[in-house]
Amino acid sequence: MKVPTRRSVLRGAAAAVAAGTLVRPYVANAAAGTATVWWTQGFVPEEDAAFRSIVAEYQKASGNTIDYSLVPFAPLMQKIISAITSGDVPDLISHDVADQAIVPQNAWNDKIVDVSDIVEAQKSEYHPTAYLASQYYNNVKKQRSFYFIPYKTAVVPFHIWIPLVEKAGYKLADAPKTWDAFFDFFKPVQKKLRDQGMRSLYSMGLQLTTTGPADGNNLFHAFLIANGGNGIVTKDGKPHLDDPQVKEAVVKSLTYLADAFKGGYVPPGALSWNDADDNNAFHSKLMVMDFDGTISTEVALYHDKAEYNAIATLGLPARNDGGPNAAQLGVGGGFIPTGAKNVEVAKEFMKFVIQPKVMNSYLKEGLGRWLPAYPSLVKSDPFWLDPSDPHRPNYVREGLIDQTVVNYPVFNPGYAEVNATQIWGSAEADVIRNGLTPEQAADKAFKKIETILAKYPIVQS
Amino acid sequence: MASVSVIEAGRPVLGRRSLLRTWRGGLQGSEFAWALAFCIPYVAVFLAFVAYPIVYGLWLGHNPALYAELWQDPIFQMTVVNTIIYLAVGVNVKMFFALLLSGFFMRRGWWVKGLLMIYVLPWAVPALPTFISIHWMLNSQWGLLNNVLWDVFHIDGPGWLDTSRWMALGAVIVSYIWKNMPFWTVILLAGRMSIPQELYEAAEVDGATGLRRFAHISFPLLANLYLVCTLLSTIFTLGDFNTVTFVSGGGPALTTHVLATIGIRDAFDIARPDLGVAAVMTALPLMIPLVLILMRKLRTSEVQL
Repeated sequence: MKVPTRRSVLRGAAAAVAAGTLVRPYVANAAAGTATVWWTQGFVPEEDAAFRSIVAEYQKASGNTIDYSLVPFAPLMQKIISAITSGDVPDLISHDVADQAIVPQNAWNDKIVDVSDIVEAQKSEYHPTAYLASQYYNNVKKQRSFYFIPYKTAVVPFHIWIPLVEKAGYKLADAPKTWDAFFDFFKPVQKKLRDQGMRSLYSMGLQLTTTGPADGNNLFHAFLIANGGNGIVTKDGKPHLDDPQVKEAVVKSLTYLADAFKGGYVPPGALSWNDADDNNAFHSKLMVMDFDGTISTEVALYHDKAEYNAIATLGLPARNDGGPNAAQLGVGGGFIPTGAKNVEVAKEFMKFVIQPKVMNSYLKEGLGRWLPAYPSLVKSDPFWLDPSDPHRPNYVREGLIDQTVVNYPVFNPGYAEVNATQIWGSAEADVIRNGLTPEQAADKAFKKIETILAKYPIVQS
Repeated sequence: MASVSVIEAGRPVLGRRSLLRTWRGGLQGSEFAWALAFCIPYVAVFLAFVAYPIVYGLWLGHNPALYAELWQDPIFQMTVVNTIIYLAVGVNVKMFFALLLSGFFMRRGWWVKGLLMIYVLPWAVPALPTFISIHWMLNSQWGLLNNVLWDVFHIDGPGWLDTSRWMALGAVIVSYIWKNMPFWTVILLAGRMSIPQELYEAAEVDGATGLRRFAHISFPLLANLYLVCTLLSTIFTLGDFNTVTFVSGGGPALTTHVLATIGIRDAFDIARPDLGVAAVMTALPLMIPLVLILMRKLRTSEVQL
């Protein structure tokens, strides 16, 4: 065997470097038609299959390549934050809570590409709340613009085990139609079931958590709105923490939630639940009712029809003052981070995704866990309001037919930090664990929110 | 004059040669080139994956305002206290019992060897499944522990991880000790095995047995190893993320976080990577002295056990 000499090794290394240099232009050329895409992995395999199917369809139609990664919810969030921090970003990102957790702050810092051309082209189709949720304030340009391309929406419905309610001797149809009274309906259900030997059963899956990311905030905001406190942040981005109506709504919400916990109606572990824990507990029939975003709870049991049909999905009861309630409409979409190498293909792909036909078939194939961003689709396609399905019609009505409001980070990116720090979950814990009164906990939360929002002064144009 | 100028002219040349020789580490010609070729990949990897991330981290967390923000946060203050308790109790209790148990495992007999094999299992199995199992076992609603309490004594067990900070932190510390004690027991066992048997025999002749043998032979000879192990373990534990994350999740209500977990929370849950890095950086004033002491101890320990 020939012994390699120093010269031969150095020659070989130089040749390898030269070969690498020659190969690079090939990669660069390929990138001209390739977009790197990070997409949230679905809750059920059907959602991922539906995504792969639209990618294949797009690639066939355009000749471009979508180099995609389907990443689970939590790791994707870490990946996105790392990418944006380091500047090494993909061409397109879609994360389920991007409208509340990533886009607001990064649009503020001018780290997202303006997509006005794409969103404006579909303005007439978009649900007004979804359209609103595509616009964010850019603090460098000192103006609002479109940074988010919505293609799906979701609300938080109630999920209830019908057999458990009936086993306790109640009928769901008898549940009151106003907010607090509706929750109260489940308290005696717990007692009756415990009397029958179901020792570990609780009536409500309330996510009084400081863990997050989304459930605890969704729960508190639903209570806040039901108590008349939706004006906590307004469209101009201004907080209204000194508004007595807002303060009263916060105190009422904290009082109800803390009392429910202290009264033993909520699993004690709820204080540390993450977004999946309540789903797991509900599936294990450890609570009668859960209030959780999307109908993921139900579609996870889609292939077990007996279980699927044993759950009732209900929209929101009226506000406590008897007025019509409004759900916060979560909006899923795509955004292009600044520094993306192939903005054009990313934009083309999103234009394809938000075509009504594509959007509809994509979300339908995903078992309807997410609702379309276009209300016309649920009116034209019987799939969405099909009365034979026990879940979709109520979910669709709550999200796309009844009144909805936008998530507060859309109005002020500081509220994204308020959500991320789980200020409301901490306020609930202050009442439950630390002996604060709801008023004291509310004041403490307001002080924190004020400090955070002060970092995001929005100039009115 | 001429001879002086020759000597003076020659000095810098000799100096350069000497420097070059030092730089080449005594290697000559192709040997030096080979050495360089073998070193370059390591240096490149070191720069890319060790030096660069550290410098980048320092740059991310360089703003003093971040530290002011952290110290004003009651959750961070609680985290610092938790970290100190976790280190002080977790590491010391673990090392103390490891020292005692290493003495037990020095005993002869097949059943001791069998017991040792079972004892090291917690350390040998992967950390994540075990911590997740502990988390589920301690679940107040459907966990194994409370179910056993109900089935056997008909009492409702407490919310181990749900309501009390101290109970949750206690669960974290116990889990940490259970998981890591076997490793350090084996290390100290190896240390004990290297103590010359003649010393014990001589002590026995002098009438020293039991506790006196431990106090006058084992402990003095193991002291340096024990200290080094304790320092090393403290450094490892300061960066321990898994135990807290998977046993208590930092709960209830964020009361059991330690620096390693709060950094991740700040960086990724709150989407403030700079704050997360700053939180981890606050461990440096403790970490650097520990490393320095450890290095000194490692130097001196070469001549001891």
